[in-house]
Amino acid sequence: MAKQIFTLNVNGRDHEVYTEPNQSLLEVVRDELRLTGAKEGCGTGDCGACTVLVDGRIVTSCLVLAPDAAGREITTIEGLADGEKLHPMQQAFIDHGSVQCGFCIPGMILSSVALLEENPAPTRDEIRRGIAGNLCRCTGYRKIVEAIESVAGS
Amino acid sequence: MTTETRPEYSSVGKRETRIEGAGKVTGGAIYAADVQVPDMLHCKLVHSPHAHARIVSIDATKALAIDGVERVIVAEDFGQAVKDGSNPAIDASNRGAALLAHKQAVFTGEPVAAVLAETPSAAEEGVEAVEVTYEVLPHVLDLEAAMEDGSPLARPPVSDIDHSEEEAHVTLDVDTEEAEGKPTNVASHVSFTRGDIEAGFAESDVIVERTWRSASMHQGYIEPHATVADFKPATGELTVWAATQGQFMVRDTIMRTLKWPETKLRVIGCELGGGFGGKMTLNSPLVAALSVIAGRPVKLVLTRAEDITAAAPAPRAMINLKTGMKKDGSLTAIEASVVYGAGAYPGAPAAVGALLGTSFYKWPNLKADGYEVLTNHVSVGAIRAPGTHNAMHAVEQNIDEMARQLDLDAGAVRLQNVSQTGDPMASGQEFTKIGLDETVTQAIEHPLWKNREAAKAESTDTKMVGVGLAIGGWLGGLQPAAAEVMLNNDGTVNAVTGVNDITGTNTSFAQILAEELNISLDQINITTGDTKTAPFAGMSAGSKTLFTVGRALREAAIDLREQMFEVAADRLEANENDLELKDNAVSVKGSPDQSLGMDRLASMTTGFGALYKPLVGSGSIAARIQAPGFTAQLVKVEVDTDTGNVELKDFAIVQDVGFAINPLSVEGQMEGGAVQGMGIGLWEEYIYDDDGKLRNAGLLDYRMPTAADVPDIESLIVEVPSEDGPYGARGVGEPSITAGGAAIANAIADAIGARVSEIPATPERVLRALGTVGDGAEAAGS
Repeated sequence: MAKQIFTLNVNGRDHEVYTEPNQSLLEVVRDELRLTGAKEGCGTGDCGACTVLVDGRIVTSCLVLAPDAAGREITTIEGLADGEKLHPMQQAFIDHGSVQCGFCIPGMILSSVALLEENPAPTRDEIRRGIAGNLCRCTGYRKIVEAIESVAGS
Repeated sequence: MTTETRPEYSSVGKRETRIEGAGKVTGGAIYAADVQVPDMLHCKLVHSPHAHARIVSIDATKALAIDGVERVIVAEDFGQAVKDGSNPAIDASNRGAALLAHKQAVFTGEPVAAVLAETPSAAEEGVEAVEVTYEVLPHVLDLEAAMEDGSPLARPPVSDIDHSEEEAHVTLDVDTEEAEGKPTNVASHVSFTRGDIEAGFAESDVIVERTWRSASMHQGYIEPHATVADFKPATGELTVWAATQGQFMVRDTIMRTLKWPETKLRVIGCELGGGFGGKMTLNSPLVAALSVIAGRPVKLVLTRAEDITAAAPAPRAMINLKTGMKKDGSLTAIEASVVYGAGAYPGAPAAVGALLGTSFYKWPNLKADGYEVLTNHVSVGAIRAPGTHNAMHAVEQNIDEMARQLDLDAGAVRLQNVSQTGDPMASGQEFTKIGLDETVTQAIEHPLWKNREAAKAESTDTKMVGVGLAIGGWLGGLQPAAAEVMLNNDGTVNAVTGVNDITGTNTSFAQILAEELNISLDQINITTGDTKTAPFAGMSAGSKTLFTVGRALREAAIDLREQMFEVAADRLEANENDLELKDNAVSVKGSPDQSLGMDRLASMTTGFGALYKPLVGSGSIAARIQAPGFTAQLVKVEVDTDTGNVELKDFAIVQDVGFAINPLSVEGQMEGGAVQGMGIGLWEEYIYDDDGKLRNAGLLDYRMPTAADVPDIESLIVEVPSEDGPYGARGVGEPSITAGGAAIANAIADAIGARVSEIPATPERVLRALGTVGDGAEAAGS
């Protein structure tokens, strides 16, 4: 397939990308831009490990064709902290012991951030439903829910 | 709950957040699939579409014509990668040696050829273009059918059964008999007996005999298997980045498979995206061999479908269990036939199931047989406490049912009968110090159990509520370990271990060093070295990471402290016994002005002309005394009798951890394992069609618990110190998965008055138990 040139805005920076147009946003972000925080757990949109924000909304980047994200604002986990200062959600995940193997965590944190953007004061049930698209196998979810709750309450 | 008084500690025993947490919340942590090496080839695998077939021919002509495809490798090629020219894949009867299928494929999805290409997409195209001609052979899928005389053989007879994965988790003092004589699908058989079971059953007031089934399941790690190998022909150096729980096991397996000298082999265990027993060595020898053959770096990342279909899931089990009890609640006898489906290569935990299933209670008479049966399914691997959840599902339903039939309290019956320190297991080996009694005691005092009648009263016509209890446990693995601790020039401390930190063990390691050196966590760095730079450590498996490497680190810290005291005693002209380590300085007790700061002390061991040797503390231990960890779990369910759907309302896990070095991460282990137990109880199952093809090879249809499916879990830590663990710690990781499935099955029985005989308890199975679908054969009781 003939390669194309297009521009992706990722974490506030424009990147000119030259790649096959059937590449997913996840593949381009990981393999071309070398931002490997977003993970591939399934490639079919079921696990949420590849979650990024596109114009502030959560997207499973394995299901999006990269050229379709041109002209949008893309945020990956690498773009969430402000220099040395972690985003409150990142800090909360550390403080509550919400991280074990860490593979699901970039996607989980971005989903959590988007959840609170949409619903700043969710109930525990709403938090659980809000992150139901992100599978975690290590934690049993309780400490993740508590981390999100702490940010919502602060 | 602390059952013995213990010393006051300054660091261990405190809740600490992870010292390296920032890397994992910012995307900075590097996992194997994140590794890119210049000039790297991408590998994709050609899989057998048949459960059992002879490979007649493999034609790579069309694949090699595709732009970007460099090589297509088949089993016959591996002699090129082995130092002495031998080929492990030829007639391999162990999964580890079968780098690619040779002559015949024995399960659907078995890799038969590897395509190497410049890009992943070219490799995928290449896979589509490889032409394999198969001659389909008769297959066998059903466990009972596979054990019958005259059954088709799932594969040619096997020799030299490889139990290395199972042994990585548990050390069993048991001889397993490997099948001899006439070829059969029974790959191994183990047997335990005690007393006279017939006499035991004769004096029973109730006997329950049932057949219980539990499904094959995936370990559920979110990171698919990934390996990068980089062979440099000019130097003969081979470097492997692996998603593994044990880099030294990968090294040793590659060494054995390829006869590669370990001086030329560096294995780097990357950050691991979950293992749970499933990430040992799977593809590492294959990718290493491919890189050697190609003379270039090679990367292989499994797709999720490949990982579910053809990695190494946990086995299904079929357990026929007959147990007896007297009216006073005492146990009389147990007779168990424990059958695990191994898939097409041997390695299922038959010995574990037969042993643990009959050892957690005081059975005066017992007969237990464990069988490992070959079928044309993907071969199985380990999962957290391999084999135990299957066995506990059977035993705990029988115990519960006997108590119900005798109108006894199922909690009190358990407490009356559980094994104690010094009691013999089925093998005759005695339990070391254990806290099963204390664990059950705490569970049956819990409100969830005490208030179960009130909970049942919440039931409506179609929503039946019930509460279930089950116990479980794990003996724990044993493996030697070493560690090094070095005093830095600024007085801080660097430590190196060879064990991969998956869940936060490096933070607990730092707590151990902080305790022994009386310094704060921010003065400590823990590095996980690779197989060329780190002292030996076993895998992060078998609930033994902290149990073994923690001990080695503690010894290393004590060694470093003694060396510091030696220097300080000389400088301060004091007796070593009068010194103490406090506030980053070694000082004479009671004379704080006679003191030597750790930074100053360090500079005396490293500067030009320094008088003292550099200070490196070493710790090296052999682990010989197991520290079994037990759990008791409680669950409240609501069963919809119209739909068969089961909703989890409440869950509590009680676990004896010996001593919680970091209670925050201990809770994390307990909660994570408990939720995996919920998956076992309600959702997770490999579903095959009659041709042996997996029907649910994706995360939509292979249903793991989401945050919305599970309740908050209450974790209750019991601390009965072990004899040999650091500060009394026991293994924590594995017991937590062992009881959830059984507890859920018992809760369902409590709710609806009928038992599911197979887990996961899908709506269909619940309705069958209720008699509202099917032939109604599965009525309450036996």
